[in-house]
Amino acid sequence: MSKSSLPPILVVDDNHDNAEIIRQYLEIRGYPITVAHSGDEALTLFETVRPAVVLLDIMMPGRDGWEVCRVMKQHPTLGRFVRVIMVTALDEWRDKREALQIGADDYVEKPFDLPTLAATVQRNIDMQQAKAS
Amino acid sequence: MSDSLLLTDFDDPALEQAIGTLDGWRVERVASTDLADATSARPEARAVLIGTANPTILRAVTERAHGAGIPVIVACADDTSRRRAVELSVEEWFRCPTDAEEIAQRIRAAVGRGTTAPGAVASDLVERVEYEQMLHDSLTGLPTLPVMIERSRNLFKERGELVVLYLNFVRYSKIEEIYGWEKLDAVLETTAAAVREFLDDTALSTSRVMVSFTNDDDFIFFHVPAAGVEAASESEITEMVARLQRHVGSRIEAQHGDDIAALFDIYVGRAHVYYNPKIRLERLIYRGIREAANASRSIEERERARRVADLRSSLRDRAVYVDYHPIVVTDTREIFGYEALARGVMRSLRSPEVMFDVAAEADLVWELSRLCRTRAIEGIETRLQPNELLFLNVDPHDFSDPAFDENEVKYPDRVVIEITERTAIKDYPKFRERLRLFRERGFRFAVDDAGSGYAGLGSIANLEPDFIKLDISLINAIDTNFIKQNLVATMVKFANDHGAKVVAEGVERAEEFKAVQDLGVHLVQGFFLHRPSHLPKQPAKQKAGR
Repeated sequence: MSKSSLPPILVVDDNHDNAEIIRQYLEIRGYPITVAHSGDEALTLFETVRPAVVLLDIMMPGRDGWEVCRVMKQHPTLGRFVRVIMVTALDEWRDKREALQIGADDYVEKPFDLPTLAATVQRNIDMQQAKAS
Repeated sequence: MSDSLLLTDFDDPALEQAIGTLDGWRVERVASTDLADATSARPEARAVLIGTANPTILRAVTERAHGAGIPVIVACADDTSRRRAVELSVEEWFRCPTDAEEIAQRIRAAVGRGTTAPGAVASDLVERVEYEQMLHDSLTGLPTLPVMIERSRNLFKERGELVVLYLNFVRYSKIEEIYGWEKLDAVLETTAAAVREFLDDTALSTSRVMVSFTNDDDFIFFHVPAAGVEAASESEITEMVARLQRHVGSRIEAQHGDDIAALFDIYVGRAHVYYNPKIRLERLIYRGIREAANASRSIEERERARRVADLRSSLRDRAVYVDYHPIVVTDTREIFGYEALARGVMRSLRSPEVMFDVAAEADLVWELSRLCRTRAIEGIETRLQPNELLFLNVDPHDFSDPAFDENEVKYPDRVVIEITERTAIKDYPKFRERLRLFRERGFRFAVDDAGSGYAGLGSIANLEPDFIKLDISLINAIDTNFIKQNLVATMVKFANDHGAKVVAEGVERAEEFKAVQDLGVHLVQGFFLHRPSHLPKQPAKQKAGR
């Protein structure tokens, strides 16, 4: 596997515009992006895409981001390696504690600022690669 | 059909090896340009593996294969072909080059998954993920109970008997309470591995033994004696349990330290179940499990009574000693003070958590607290250097103890009283009044386990602490979790605004130390720098206080 290629990212947001904005911004930076518009779709794509990082919106109809994160983190093989970034307004102590409880690794505040989002993605990829090596 | 055909244009020696490891498979190689037609012509193929990066061929082959209900695996040379593969919803893909094992695994997974109608894909796969989670515990890799019952069904019928062992691991919930769920997960993983290791090694392995995990913190063993072999006798089982306990205990101690190992105990209950064709097999087994679980509980009860007796005699003989755990200044690593950890001299009461648990059951908390306090404070004079502080754990209930008098403690200006955030304080105004009196005498306060709950900073501010000791669960693996870093940064800022100092407890690794240092945490305590120890006595002439 060539070292230069960037690892895949799964973007999960029921808002198509948001998802598109993130996709375009990160794709220009060379990340292979797959988009899911619901929790179910995200879980379906999870094993095929095998993302290094999941950008996960919390408020979605059906399975919300909390549940998706929990299921992903319990996946027998991929759960250990995937980094989950919650995309949300986690401004309260309780929300962040909740995020820790379900195994999330990081968060980006909404409304998000794209450079911050990219930096957050990058630091999680760095962390994952440091752990893998 | 035992003969499974894989159609492919992928030319790689690893594929040959992979096919060799799969049962009853053979490969038929086709040129890339012919693969689509070959796929249509061979509807009996079990799978198609596409090696070419040509997008037109990739699309054509995938469409034909899916049209014929054949799953597709793609060998991806780069990210572009991987993306194409994902967009085409192929069943599996892998990155090249890779080893035979992964290729075999992908082929197996693709076939196991099969092709589904596009609309049904989402819900089916999600269900599958959930279904797998129902069958196997993802943490320990052990099967869940229904799976185990299914597997033992025939064996049990044939042999006519089954021994159920119920392993009741006590105080695992305490580990979670103190160290957080990640720690407990890690400990359970160690436990499951140790249990498996032990079984591979034990005499019982000649017969059929299965382990299940109840998803809480108990384990269940099924032992079906092999044909012609007697079921293990009571004494063999007792002996095995003792060895198991030692084995698991030593593994936990080696990997997680003696504090955690001291918390852990296993009580094993057993039940012998005989097959009876008139009674449903599941019910027989479930009754056996219940019987074994009850037996383990009654052993636990007996053990508890024994510990209460141990505690009473320890109190009478004042058999409590204190270990001092250094708290250091983060930047200089100089010793700032010590947290006093009271331990029972008796082995069964070595862990302070266990000792205080037993005291709570026997209504002896005040008495034990008084003894521990006296012992710890003695150390200020005899063991600490004149500039070092003593951090003393005090339960909020101790403030109602008339014997806990702010005027009777020597060196109040060298004592930091730690109050845990976990205990609910009932009468707040009265409590604050008591704190004020202690403060006036020169005592300082620390909030222990800060940030453990959902309450956040409000409850901490209420106590106006001089020190904030962060909950261990926030420190454990903080170097890899950015949410923890954010919470600790918030706490440090809060402390700086309020003239308090933050202590990071449970720092076990260099990476954790670096992370808390970078976040501006003032003081650090943990195995990375020091272990708790029974400090040597200082020369008697030393003057305390300043």
